[in-house]
Order: sequence, then C-alpha cells, then structure tokens
Amino acid sequence: MTNLVVHDLHKRFGGLQVLKGVEFEINGAELIGLIGPNGAGKTTLTNILDGAIKPNSGTVYLNGVRIDQLAPYQVAKVGLGRTFQVTRSFRRMTVLENLYVPAMALDRGYSKARIAEKAMEILEFLTIDHLRNEYAQALSGGQQKLLELGRLLMHDPEVIILDEPFAGVHPSLMEIIYNYINRVNESGKAIILISHQMDSIFTLCKRLLVLNGGVLIADGPPDEVKRDPTVIEAYLGTDEDEDMHHDAQASQA
Amino acid sequence: MNKKNIPQMAGAALIAAFAIFPFVYSANDYPYIMHILITGFFYAILASSWSMLAGYAGQFSFGHMGFMGIGAYTTALFSHYLYLTPVPTNLCTEFPIGDMYLIILDPIGITSSTLTQDCLRQALDIWDGSVQVTPMPVWLGIALGTMMGGIFGLLIGLLVLPLRAAYLALFTLGFSEILRATVSAEIAVTRGQAGIELPYLFDNGITLFGHQFDKTDKLPPYFAMFFLLLACLGILTWLAKSKFGLFVRALREDEDAAAALGVNTVRYKVLVFVITSMMAAAAGAMMAHYIRIISPNNLIILQMSLVVAMAVIGGVEHFVAAALGAILLEYMLEYLRNSFEIGPIVVDMTTWRLVVFGILLMLTLRFSPKGLLVPMIDYFKRGHVRKETMAKRNAENTP
Amino acid sequence: MEFPVFFWAALGWMMFWGVLGSIATRYVYLHKDLDTSSTRLLGSMMGAATGPIGLVPLWIKTPEITTRLIIFATLGTLGVFMTAFALADPGNLCVTNGSFVASQISNGVIIGIIYGFMALGLTLIFSILGVVSFAHGEFYMIGGMVTYFMTTVLFPEVTPIVGIAAACILTFMLGALFERLFLTPMYDGRVDRPVEYGILITFGLAFTLQYFVQATVGANPVKAKRFFDFPRLRLPSAEDPWLIKTSRGNMELFETISISNPRFTAAVMCILVFIALMYFLRHTWTGKALRAVSQDRQAAAIAGINPDRMNMLAFALGSMIAALAGAMLVQAFSWLPQVGAIPALRSFVIVVLGGLGSIPGAFLGGIIVGLVEAAGTGCIPDPQKAASYIPAYGMIVLTLTLLLRPTGLLGRKFASGTHGKF
Ligand SMILES: Nc1ncnc2c1ncn2[C@@H]1O[C@H](COP(=O)(O)OP(=O)(O)O)[C@@H](O)[C@H]1O
Ligand SMILES: [Mg+2]
Repeated sequence: MTNLVVHDLHKRFGGLQVLKGVEFEINGAELIGLIGPNGAGKTTLTNILDGAIKPNSGTVYLNGVRIDQLAPYQVAKVGLGRTFQVTRSFRRMTVLENLYVPAMALDRGYSKARIAEKAMEILEFLTIDHLRNEYAQALSGGQQKLLELGRLLMHDPEVIILDEPFAGVHPSLMEIIYNYINRVNESGKAIILISHQMDSIFTLCKRLLVLNGGVLIADGPPDEVKRDPTVIEAYLGTDEDEDMHHDAQASQA
Repeated sequence: MNKKNIPQMAGAALIAAFAIFPFVYSANDYPYIMHILITGFFYAILASSWSMLAGYAGQFSFGHMGFMGIGAYTTALFSHYLYLTPVPTNLCTEFPIGDMYLIILDPIGITSSTLTQDCLRQALDIWDGSVQVTPMPVWLGIALGTMMGGIFGLLIGLLVLPLRAAYLALFTLGFSEILRATVSAEIAVTRGQAGIELPYLFDNGITLFGHQFDKTDKLPPYFAMFFLLLACLGILTWLAKSKFGLFVRALREDEDAAAALGVNTVRYKVLVFVITSMMAAAAGAMMAHYIRIISPNNLIILQMSLVVAMAVIGGVEHFVAAALGAILLEYMLEYLRNSFEIGPIVVDMTTWRLVVFGILLMLTLRFSPKGLLVPMIDYFKRGHVRKETMAKRNAENTP
Repeated sequence: MEFPVFFWAALGWMMFWGVLGSIATRYVYLHKDLDTSSTRLLGSMMGAATGPIGLVPLWIKTPEITTRLIIFATLGTLGVFMTAFALADPGNLCVTNGSFVASQISNGVIIGIIYGFMALGLTLIFSILGVVSFAHGEFYMIGGMVTYFMTTVLFPEVTPIVGIAAACILTFMLGALFERLFLTPMYDGRVDRPVEYGILITFGLAFTLQYFVQATVGANPVKAKRFFDFPRLRLPSAEDPWLIKTSRGNMELFETISISNPRFTAAVMCILVFIALMYFLRHTWTGKALRAVSQDRQAAAIAGINPDRMNMLAFALGSMIAALAGAMLVQAFSWLPQVGAIPALRSFVIVVLGGLGSIPGAFLGGIIVGLVEAAGTGCIPDPQKAASYIPAYGMIVLTLTLLLRPTGLLGRKFASGTHGKF
C-alpha cells in the first residue's frame, strides 16, 4: 500500500521562510485536496516532494524510501509524479514522443509495441489521439494540459501531485480531467490535488489539507475543514461564492 | 512509391555519388575539387555534431572548435614529441618499452638561444645514420586526440551543467578563447603562431583497390574523411533514434519536466557533450594530418562562426541537413573566392564572400529559422501529419 | 624565472580549503535551517584565507552572513594570495617596486572604468530585451574605426568630437535598424526559442560586420592620433613637481604614478557620458520608461509605454555605448577588424560579475576586471605570456563568479527563467 510520510519540512528562500514544519501522512489511494492562499507554499511543497528543491530540514519517506535528498529523476523512479502549475509540455516534440519520454526513462522493460499501444490508449481516453503526430506546440493550452496528464499516466507513479490542473482550462475539458482523476484514483494511486476551485475540490476529495503561510492549519474531511474557524479566517472567508468568483478571474488573467 | 521515403533515397543516392566521384571525375582541377570536398566533409562532421549538441540537446556551445583543436593539437604534439628508437639516446627523456625506447623530445620552441637542435637530432648526428628512428603511428595519434576531446568534453560538460542559454554560450566561447591563448602563449611547446607540422595521414602511401597511392594523393584522405563523416552520421542517427535522442530533446524543451518524468538530465547533458566533443576532436585530428599543420589560427572565432553558419543554414535541428549545408557552403565559399571586376573596380572576394555568408546566415535565421534544407525534408516526411489531423477533425465534426 | 613549488603549494592549499569551505559551510547552514544564499562565497573565501582556523568557528557559531563579513574574508584571501606571491617571487617588480604597483593599480582602475562603461551597454540591452548581444564587440570596433577615419584620415583638422559624434550616430542607427529588421520576431512568439535566436542572430551580425569592415578597410592595424593634448602642468612648482607633472601625452602624479593621455581622456569622457546617461534614465520621460520596461514589461505596457519602441531604443543605445568606448580607445590601442572579440568577452564577464541588469554592478565589475588584468599583465614574470593570456584572466573571474555567486555582486536575483538558472 502507498505510504507517504512528510515530517517537519522547513524551507526558506533567502530571508523568506516559506514552509514551517509541514507534516502529514498519506496511506493508500487517497484523493487529497491541498488548498491555501497564493504564496502559501503549495508549489514549494510540491517541488520538495518531487526533489526539484531540497528542504532545509525535515524528511520525506515514500514507501519506506527516503526521497527528500534524491534528485527529481530518482524520485520519479521511486514513484512520485507531478504536473506543473504552468503547463510544461515538450513543445517541439510530437504528442506521442511526449508520452514516450517517461515510458523510456523509467524503463520497466516493456516492448516498444506495448508502449505505443498504451500511449494510444491514453490519448484516446484524453480525446487527443488524432493529434498524436502533431508537435505539442500546435495543441491548445487545454490540450497541452491533457497531454501533461497523459505523460503522467505513462509514468504511472504511486503518488501524483496535480498543481492547479483546472487553471485556465475550458469547461468542456474539465469533465475529462474529472474522469482522469477518478480513474487514476480508482486504479489505486494516491493523488494530491492543488486547486483554487473549491467546488471541484469539494466534489472530488475526501480529505483536505490547508496550507497557510507555510503552516499546515487543517487536515481532515472537507466538511470538517470547511467549518474550522482558523481556516475560515485564513482562507475560505465568509462568503464562499465571492472567493470562487475571485479565483475564476485570477485564472483568466 | 511512398513519399516519406524520398529523403532516405536521396540520401543513399548522395552517398553513392560521393563514393564514386573520385573515380569518375577527371578534369584538370581534380586535386582542387578533392581538397574542397575533403574540407567540406571536415566541416560537415563539425556542423552535424554541433547540431546534435545545439539543435537536439539545446546546448548552444561556442566551444566546438576548441574541441576540434584539442584533437588536432593532441595528435600534433604526440607525433611531434614522441618517437621509438632501438637504442637509447642518453640525451632525451626516455623509457624502455619492450626492446625499443620511447623517446620524449625536449620542447625547444622555434628559436632557442641555448639549443639549435632538439635532443633527438643531436643523437641522430652522433649516430650518423646507423640507427632507424620510428615515428608514432598516425592512427594512434588520432585515437588519442579523440579520447582527449572526450575527456575535455566531460570536464566542460560538468562545468556548464548549471548554465543555460547565454551563460553557456559565453562560458564555452571563453573556454575556446583560453585554449587559443594558451596555445599561442606556450610557444616552447606548441610553437605558437608558427604552428606545429604533422606527418601525412598516410605517410608511407597506401595501396587501395590494387592501386598504389602516394602520400600526397588526395584519394586516400578523401575516403578517410568521408568514412569518418559517415561513421559520425551513423552514430548520430542511431543516437537520435534511440532513447538518447528522445531524452536530449526532452531536456532541451524543458529540463525540469524531463527530470520529473525520470530522465537523468545530468547524465544526458554530459554525455551529449562528450560524444559531440569526441566527434569534433576526431575530425580535427584527421584534418590536421591532412593539411599537415595546426596553428592557433584554426581556433579563432571565425572558424566557429563558419560551423555555426553552416549548421544553421543547413538546418540546426537536423544533423544530416547540417552536414549537407556544410559541404554545399564550403563549396560556395571556394566558388565565391574568385574576384571579379565591375568596370575599373576590382572586387576582392576573399573577404567579401564572408560578408555574403554572414548575410545569408542572418537572412536564414530570420526568414527560415529551420534552415534551408529542413523544410524540404519536412515536406516529405511530415506532410501527411497535417492532412491526417484535418481529416480526423472533419470526420468528427460531420457525424 | 620559474615559480618555485612553494607558490603552487600555497595555491593548492587555498583551493583545497576554499572548495571544502564552500561545500561544507552551505551544508552546515542548510542543516541549521539558516539562510544559505551567501554561504558558498563566504565559505570559500574564509577557507582560502584562513583554512580550518576560520572555518571551524564559522561552522560552530554560524553567524548571520553580512556583507562586511564577506568583504573581510575576501580581503583576507587576497592578502594571503599576495603574500604567497611575494614570498615565492621576491624579485618581481610587483613586489619590489612600489611606484610600479601604484601605476598598475591606477591604470587598472582607469581602464576598468572604460570596460565598465562598455559593459553598461550590454547590461542595458539585456535588461530591456533579455538578449545578450554577441555583436557588442563589433559595435565597439566600428566605433573606433569610424572615429579613426573621421579624425585621422578624412578631417584631421576638425575637432575629434565630430568624429566621435559621427561614430555614435552611425552605430545608433545601425543598432536601431538591426533591431527592427531582425529582433522583432523574438517578442511575439514567431521564433521557437527566442533566447537562442537572439544569440545566433547577434552572432551572425557580429560575423557580418567584422568582415564587412575588413573587406572595406582592410586588415592592417591603424591607430588614431591623440585627441587632446594635456596642458603643461607643474604642480606645485615648476622646479619641484611632486603633485602633478604633465607632458602632452602623459601625466605623472606624485612622481610615481604615470598615466597616459589617451586612457585618461577616455575615462573622463566615459564618466561624463555616464553622468549624462544617468540623467537621461532618471529625469526624462523616455529614460524612466526604459527603466520601467526593464523592471516589469507588462506593467509598463499597461501604463501606456510602448515596449517595442523601448526595445529599439535600448538596443541602439546599448550598441552606441559600445561604439563610444571604442571611439575613445582607438587613440590608445591599434585597431583591427578583429579587435572587438576580447572586449566583448570581457564585457560579458563584467556584466555577470556585476550582476546582469545592474548599472553600478557594471562599473564595479569593470574596475575589478581592470585591476585583475593589470595585475596579471604586470606581475606574471614572462611579459609576452602575460599578454597572451589576457582572455584567460577574465575567464577565471567568470568561473569563480558562476561558482560562488551566480547572481553577481549586485545583481537582481533571477530565481528561474530562460536566461539561466540564476
Ligand atoms: N525559487 C524561489 N526563490 C525565492 N522565493 C521563492 C521561490 N519559489 C517560491 N518562492 C516564494 O515562496 C512563497 C511560496 O510560493 P509558492 O510555493 O509558489 O506558493 P503557492 O504555490 O502556494 O501559491 C512565495 O512567497 C514565493 O514568492
Ligand atoms: Mg503555486
């Protein structure tokens, strides 16, 4: 069973203390929402879990392996994958080649034909199979996000962190991403979903983590967290609708 | 016939044409044309390996000519300073190897106030023709040069790991300038601006196709350089088609994303430096034996500019196009050398042709950034993609 | 003479502790949950200067890293290095002859001001366009060439100001034209990789300009005549001039420091133009707009500034600054079409050392590089070698900067981005 243990993470950039003792644990195929105001340290936390930056102190164990001092590619091999807040497809490689990169890098001993087959299956699921030989830069922003999610399916890690997957995505693609998240979760993977879209978070997640100013101020089922006074004060505000309205504007900008 | 295969077939035809050219061509300017082609192959190796480094892996290094120089100077110094003799000289630094002695000459530079002859010449005077001195084999020098290129490629590759874009370009340019400065300054060893002379590529001549070729004949070096080019292109093609090519392109596009997906970016970045540096060094070593002199002038920025221009005009992201561009442009450069007259004004083209070249480079970058040859190749190879996409899209829209 | 082993041993010792200090200090600070942004620099300097004597207390006490502490350690390193040099080569001019050292230092500072001025152009271009112009050296060369032809060949009677002005106008227009024709596709996503495009296209321009000049004027070295003569001065008195003594081409201060006229006038000119430029940047609308664009392109565009126009202005102005540096130095050095390569490389070094985008950084970096080159050319025993190695001095500075303080001395921090990790 998947087991991610984050213990007492501290991170600072120059004089700025961004994470102050973040601590949580994931057991099994949980679907967890990670929310918090801009600058709370969500992306920084993702970067630390993924190995892109090193924490000043604290540890991260994934299935018993300590990953906080590993390089990103080693973390990927241990079984943690992430998407980026700003979409980062390999723009001048074809859609299929984009999917082949993780499959070849992790080298699970599958044949070329098997990899190609799986890639096609994923593209069909994400409804971008007709674009398979196009360069990724020819895809729309939303399609590139789907492509990034597809890469993650090829990577097939135990823990997936999605950094704001709904930002700037057309409503018609939202459903595909919903299906994606549910399907991946049902296949036994743990997912950490970072988003500002409260309705999505509340529909999808069974557990919420709230980060504020580098401190994890709440951890529990959505209904409970919603009523937590510190969370309301720090983030949700009194009027939830207003907040969502604000976020929609922010993601358009 | 499948349109997709046209570029492959054109390539095969071209290889065949270059392979039989020396046998069918027989005009008066035969040595001259052969020389241009050999030089063209040399630049083709440099341009295609640079396009792997810059175009494929996105490492815009301006130190490529430096690696070429490392290969050339390694073999030059090797053949210049090391000899084998059956008896000790008792003058030089020497080590017994089997029943021979490995002699290391003392560096006396071009002119030395205390010595007019190096230690081996002094010994030869004493022996007075009674002892046979064996120079080092040329192929060993070339192999050493290639290895040395790889070692420096590794060092530079590690040094520039955290650098991107402009920083990388500056640092590598600086590296090649330091190399040039060192070679110019250490006159005692490298003979500075005067340059070091090297033995012929085939110093004792060679028998090919039942025909005895003299060491000055152009055909053996032609095929040596041609096969080196084919070998390099073969290796590059193989690399590009394997996961190496996939990974270096991924790290060119986005290093962090590639790393997050499990690509060991450090290893591939260093590896691409090592491989391309070895190719440049091999080309440099072989070329040095062909033109038989290497001097710091081969390391000036102009040379690097030529390689960059050739690769860009051919197509920087396609090493075969870069190689072809190099051969074509080398020919063009030679062709443009002929000065001409407009009325009373004599236009000396030796420098103007470089201006033409520079303008061509800028115009290509501006109006056809993929190069002049790649769009043609793409037309055949990728023409079907758009059609496919459109067909699918139309089919979906009209259920 | 040969350096004794002693010198290399001392250097090896310093390097060992420097490397160890830079790695271990960072590790220690990281694990005590402290700010690590300057640990590399401080650790290496402390290690090189004092070895374990300074490092161990540093690791135990882990004080807050202040600028003063860094400067202290750096000066210590310099002191140890110079002591080792002096002990190794006691007969060297740099050790025995105080007036030689004073002359080298003041000439280093003077030439450093000119270097810094030239680098300023590069920094200006970079901070507005995000491009490192590889043609910077060629604009420098053209500035010198035009000035040479105007002042020495065509109009030797007219004041040299006219020649300098002509060089400025020409290069300004050339820069603007090039920017319009070739750099505009970078701004709107018409090229796939704008940064690489910028490198290659300016590289192509450099190549074209260099050989265009060579084709038109030839490859023989030329040298402009002195622009201005010094007035004859004897201070405090004609008999006993211990303060200042000038001849037409040279100036002597305190009877020890000797400064040649061309370099002096060049530095003064650069400072004057720099003051004018600062006035322009801080007190005119266009200058303020330029600075606004360099800080936040989008915000500036919203405020009604046309960033496109600023791109053109910045490239033209930056190129003109390089040309002006060339115009001033053509009276000091002999001039060739290839003369731009080393100054261009040097400008890059200075800009990285000072911090990309920082104007005071460019001057500070220029002076440091000027001093390093003066020390290198003056103190290395074999003068011919010392001169040949000029490009290497800058590269050593560059390598150290990139390893120890990648943001440069006064640079803004580029947390990420297309120009490098820094
Ligand atoms: N590389 C960095 N250097 C300096 N500060 C950074 C860096 N990355 C993030 N920060 C700062 O850390 C804080 C948290 O950022 P981030 O993790 O991106 O927040 P979130 O994703 O929750 O909006 C912000 O104040 C940001 O400015
Ligand atoms: Mg974020």
